[in-house]
Amino acid sequence: MTVLEVQSLRKSFGAVQAVKDISFSVEAGEIFTIIGPNGAGKTTTLEMIEGLVHPDGGRISYGGLSWDKDAEEIKKMIGVQPQSEAMFDLLTPQENLELFASFYEKPMSVIEIMDMVNLTEHRNKKVRVLSGGQRQRLAIGLAMVGDPQILFLDEPTTGLDPQARRNIWDIVRALKEMGKTTILTTHYMDEAEKLSDRVCIVDAGQVVAMDTPAALIGRLTKEREVRMTFLDGVSAALDMEQFAQGQTSVARIERTGKGLKLWTFKPEDALHALFGFTKERGYRVDQVSIREMSLEDVFISYTGKEWRD
Amino acid sequence: MSTMKQFRKMFLANLTMTLREKQAWFWGIFFPVILMVIFMVIFSGGSDDDFKVKVAAVADQSHEGSRMMLEQLKQIPVFDWVEEGFMTREDAETLVKEDEVAAAIVLPSAAGDTSLSLILNKEHEQNSTSMAVISMLNEYVQQANMMAAGVKPVFTLNVESVSAGSDDLKYQDFLLTGMIALSIAQGGLFGMVDMVEMRRKGLIKRLRMTPARMGLFGLSDMLMRLVFAIFQIILLSLIGVYGFGATLHIDLISLIIIFLIGALSFNAIGYFFSSFSKTTEAYMGIANITSFLMMFLSGVFFPIESMPGWLQPVSQVLPLTYFVSGLRDGMVYATGFMNGAFWLGIGVLTLWGCFAFMLGSLLYRNRSIAAR
Repeated sequence: MTVLEVQSLRKSFGAVQAVKDISFSVEAGEIFTIIGPNGAGKTTTLEMIEGLVHPDGGRISYGGLSWDKDAEEIKKMIGVQPQSEAMFDLLTPQENLELFASFYEKPMSVIEIMDMVNLTEHRNKKVRVLSGGQRQRLAIGLAMVGDPQILFLDEPTTGLDPQARRNIWDIVRALKEMGKTTILTTHYMDEAEKLSDRVCIVDAGQVVAMDTPAALIGRLTKEREVRMTFLDGVSAALDMEQFAQGQTSVARIERTGKGLKLWTFKPEDALHALFGFTKERGYRVDQVSIREMSLEDVFISYTGKEWRD
Repeated sequence: MSTMKQFRKMFLANLTMTLREKQAWFWGIFFPVILMVIFMVIFSGGSDDDFKVKVAAVADQSHEGSRMMLEQLKQIPVFDWVEEGFMTREDAETLVKEDEVAAAIVLPSAAGDTSLSLILNKEHEQNSTSMAVISMLNEYVQQANMMAAGVKPVFTLNVESVSAGSDDLKYQDFLLTGMIALSIAQGGLFGMVDMVEMRRKGLIKRLRMTPARMGLFGLSDMLMRLVFAIFQIILLSLIGVYGFGATLHIDLISLIIIFLIGALSFNAIGYFFSSFSKTTEAYMGIANITSFLMMFLSGVFFPIESMPGWLQPVSQVLPLTYFVSGLRDGMVYATGFMNGAFWLGIGVLTLWGCFAFMLGSLLYRNRSIAAR
């Protein structure tokens, strides 16, 4: 079932065309991630979908409901965790949650939410003194409090330490288990790869690729990178370099000292030949690896931009 | 009902935040109390009844006539004599120079001598204490002359003060009501800094993404401010009445009317400031300048009539002028609400409030967002 459909969304700010043409649809219960370089139009797209910015053109439909006619209905269906730390600093997490709960007809239990976002032991501290990770968890809790069908989490892990990031991943996975639909933006590729059911890559105001992380990676070129180092030093590496150059399965080679990097379209054949050679010469291999393709490579290949955390 | 529940939660949240905000305590409670106490002590403490002037009597050679004069002078209750008898001129001059006494009165030193002299400190020659001593001595000399000539005075002067309200209006009452008006006005002018902070943090946007009713949120905030202002009135009144002997004659209906209109108007002005201030610092700057100017030009501490004539028209347009005077009508003069001046004040305040609110709303709307 499609819960959100976005068609040909457009938005300009003066001469700057922030969003040129963005269309996608989100199915119930999935984690849908939007990634893109800075200035790609992610935030503007999200703000249009959340009803904060009026689009210049295009259509946003929540199962037939639109912002123009059914704003109040949509507000009850969605829960938003914005990038800014929009909460009351002088209130405690519990007081913030209870206040937000009073806005909805059928809110979730505040006690349950505090348990889920792991804030029960901090419930009586003022928000002002909470850590960044605790505040992010509260922001997610505030987005959940109305028991929405669709949650928007805008860069929920930016600036957090690895442990705090993992805590938030757990919450996102728990939301999926509850049957919620989550629309996520993130700065971290590994996060998008691990959490998302589908990823939508946005660049220069347009969708450049959209699929499951595995399918996106699968679409990349099949050339793989193999790395080898030798215990026998530079002479072994030099010898191996000469041998590899004669192999048809190896596309190109780079050598630095006793380390070798080679690229191949047929990693099985190449490795077979290379290890045959080392056995024949009696060279001892120190390390060998084949680099896995990641979403980061997908991102670079589609946007032509280096990813910066 | 869910609207009531929502309103109650919003009100409690606003109240909790205000009580936890140190700034609100300082500017809303401590600052007006301290300011009032300082002004009360400086301008009303020890004036009226117990006005005393320290003086010394000088006579080079004491004789019957000068002793008699001293006895008569001692009947004047204002004079506080440093010594029972006479002292030498040198000693008395030293006392005057060192400000130990305000004046030394030199009495005739021989039987035929009829002149009295007064020694004053040059630095204080023109101040009110010196003036008082001079006029009292003049009065004494005139009476003595008439007695000597055997003339009965034809005219006498009785001084009475009158005011529009009750006859026991004191400076304490004037200052107390001025301070109450000032602190309520400042509550409005400074209080809307929350709006700037909420907008900066994206909280207003955030609330608009929920089904929360923003109008209800504004209303709950307003009600909380009114409750806080009532607390200020009670606290300042208690300190004024029990600490400094102020007397209040409260006319409840006019007090409630002027309180509501005034508090709402000044909050509207604060709201207007918040609509164009990008940072809390900018907001506080504007609020400070405004409140500082109004504080001295609106008859809070001194009557407007005591200001230079060219400045008075400025006072006539400031909202605080009308709030202060309306509040005095309701709290000390008890003139009731059946008079034109009171309603003129209400009108000016309402005009200020509506204008500020509309302008503020317009500026907010210009940067508004799609979701209503």
